[in-house]
Amino acid sequence: MAKARQLSQQDIEELVERARRGDGAAFGQLVEEYKDKIYNYVSRMLNDPYEAEDVTQEAFLRAYRSLPRFRGASSFHTWLYRIASNLAIDVVRKRKRQEPTYSLDEPMESDDGEYEREIPDDTGSPEDRSTTRETRVAVRRAIMELPEKLRDVMILYELQGETYEDIAEILNVPLGTVKSRLFNARNRLKESLEQLVAAGELEVES
Amino acid sequence: MTCEEVRAELVECWGSTEQLTTAATEHLAICENCRYEARILRGTSVMLHSLPSESAPEGFTAGVLQQIAREQAQRGWTARLGQWFVPANQTSWTRAAAVGAAIALAVAGGSMWAGRGSLPEGTQQYAGSASGTIAVSTPAATEAELDELLRRHQALQMTQPLADDPGVNLVVYTTK
Repeated sequence: MAKARQLSQQDIEELVERARRGDGAAFGQLVEEYKDKIYNYVSRMLNDPYEAEDVTQEAFLRAYRSLPRFRGASSFHTWLYRIASNLAIDVVRKRKRQEPTYSLDEPMESDDGEYEREIPDDTGSPEDRSTTRETRVAVRRAIMELPEKLRDVMILYELQGETYEDIAEILNVPLGTVKSRLFNARNRLKESLEQLVAAGELEVES
Repeated sequence: MTCEEVRAELVECWGSTEQLTTAATEHLAICENCRYEARILRGTSVMLHSLPSESAPEGFTAGVLQQIAREQAQRGWTARLGQWFVPANQTSWTRAAAVGAAIALAVAGGSMWAGRGSLPEGTQQYAGSASGTIAVSTPAATEAELDELLRRHQALQMTQPLADDPGVNLVVYTTK
């Protein structure tokens, strides 16, 4: 469904209020508004489109169930992010217990057998696509290698465009913690990708 | 300014020399190692921000709304079952307990139907999940049919609580 326009803060508040009173259509509009943002965030956290879809759906379902308790102390979007973040972190921790050596290169298993992790890329020439694909795999791997607390902040700030203040609210940590985690995350990411950058895989303007 | 201080600044601005303080810029002019550090940071930033955004799959919103509708339907039927079991003048806690009992009985009945290989006539599968099947009758059973059904349910003894038996089928009936 194509989005007609970006909803204003007032539109969101009205939709939330209507949804709290049981208006399913209003909640549907909220889902439309936030589904891509939340899915992208969860997908980056988990690097698995199937799990990302499940977790994103569960985040919206939990939000709907919890709407009667939503008092508007935080904005709807930080509240929604917080629900999604908690669910994604749960999955990350569960994976750690089950698969201590989670690898992006390994095929995934399903009921239908094994399949490769899906990383779509349809831009440029075959050679470009190959290089771009390798770069993206390397970046995704580097993100996945970050401890979840650093990964969360890195994704929210760098890829989702959230502010320090909103991230502090989403993760329920002090502002200083957000900044220090981001600093550490950038350092670690730089270390992971250093060889690739230095080898000239990418032209970097100086 | 030390290399360590300059590198902390570089991390803050992803290696962009335009945002550095004058002291850091002067340091960069004479320190090859820090210039290398700045280049790696800029490259890392470009790589990170070149990741394309991903969108939720087609039909995502409809899927969420359908799931909500299922849950609401389920809540509605269990509440009605509770009403059939408990006189209106009893306390809400008694009523809540009775609703639980009604669900358990319906579950036992569902297992029985499942054992015969198909759902009762006039009943269709409403929703499926890994942990079982939820069904509602369409068209709804009559009061007499429901009474008979409940008698049969009451004749069954649950040997396991619901939570320990994820494989059962949950069948909820409603009257015409």
